[in-house]
Amino acid sequence: MENPISIHCPDSLDDAVAILSARPGARILAGGTDLLVKHRNGMLPNLTDFVDISGLRLQEIERESDSIIIGSGCTMTALAQSPLVADRFPCLAQGAIQVGAFQIRNCATIGGNIANGSPAGDTIPAMFCLDAMVRIFGPESRRTIPIAEFFTGPGKTVLRQGEIIESFALPDRRTFGVFFKLGERRAHAISKVSISVSCFESGQGRREFRIALGAVGPTVLRCRKAEELMTAAGWPPPSADLVDKASRLVMDASRPIDDIRSLKDYRKKMTGVLFIRAIDRLNARSYQLNNSGEE
Amino acid sequence: MPLLFGQIRKGVEMPKQETIRITFSLNGKLVETQVQPVLTLLEMLRRNFSLTATKEGCGKGECGACTLLFNGFPLNSCLKLAATLRPTDSVVTLEGLENDPLMGRLQKAYVDEGAVQCGFCIPGMVISSYHLLKHHPNPSSAQIKEALSGNLCRCTGYSKIEQAVVRAAREK
Repeated sequence: MENPISIHCPDSLDDAVAILSARPGARILAGGTDLLVKHRNGMLPNLTDFVDISGLRLQEIERESDSIIIGSGCTMTALAQSPLVADRFPCLAQGAIQVGAFQIRNCATIGGNIANGSPAGDTIPAMFCLDAMVRIFGPESRRTIPIAEFFTGPGKTVLRQGEIIESFALPDRRTFGVFFKLGERRAHAISKVSISVSCFESGQGRREFRIALGAVGPTVLRCRKAEELMTAAGWPPPSADLVDKASRLVMDASRPIDDIRSLKDYRKKMTGVLFIRAIDRLNARSYQLNNSGEE
Repeated sequence: MPLLFGQIRKGVEMPKQETIRITFSLNGKLVETQVQPVLTLLEMLRRNFSLTATKEGCGKGECGACTLLFNGFPLNSCLKLAATLRPTDSVVTLEGLENDPLMGRLQKAYVDEGAVQCGFCIPGMVISSYHLLKHHPNPSSAQIKEALSGNLCRCTGYSKIEQAVVRAAREK
């Protein structure tokens, strides 16, 4: 018979970190939508304790000087419904609303989506595009890591035992963006390929681009060459040829594999297709009128 | 390898452990109970309170049969540990909506439209439908599909369920 598992519901970050540091087999329980499934499937053999962090008041979205701070305990529903997120970070709102189904989004948190480190996590490409900084609370001190340096492999991050993601800091600027994913169906699908394309005005007729791909590499990937091309070309893009050229750079940046959900060649091809769709959407008149990105 | 039903339940039935006392609001009343550390909200409702409208389908948050209202929002109760409930938390199950006029209308519409076959998914379906109509009294077809996308039904093919929600919205 397996060992009994304990549960702790601390009221402060200090207490949570103390328990996590003292118990090497302790795992952080946020929304539970991944962790409890793993536990049930017997995938957490070394688990000794759950540390429920829902009482740590990490659910706020607020402005702090020139950043927007998103608490790690923010649910996908809260992100998708936040006027501040919809106005500043449409790609993130769209990523959040495409996670799971409504019941899942009502408890799944952005901190969990990021800390799980799945290359297919649907908020991660948007967080890359938005230059998010991950604010980590640990036993000794706080530290802040750029999102691009946070992931070290599939399911692997720089988080050490005892550390908790407290929040994410995103530069407070109005971006235009989209997030698209391909899955087996619309709800409850894990991405086969996903893309976030986001840009902000950097001058008259100029936009600075960010492009990130999900589920086509060991971690989410930035497409820097395509970004440079799009940024240098000005906005709106001068020609379809240029967008085509950028789409090939996007495909080149992907490093997909064959797995249970999809095939390498299909995934690579679809990164380019989704990129062109994303640019079309950003350039559509309906998008200019309504920054929600919805059809 | 697919797990058999008995094996799946093993993770839930923990050996003798210290139990935790919790207090929370259940169907409008403040209640208190003792739970083992790793007992889901779903199992607790069925065992400790004999509230069996909430069903376990997949146990993984995919089928929606265990949907209930947690602090006003639909939630998969198979993915919530009972021990994490706080006195400020509110849980509403289908039993708690027995005398609710909107739920009554929904149930009648489901029956009238023939939207119920085996019935296993229906408690979750009507909870999701109820939340939708509470917040969107005249939902579009897309809104209905979106609201029910976390509830799987293997009998009806969904169209009668959608028609039932439309009927309940119409017959105010």
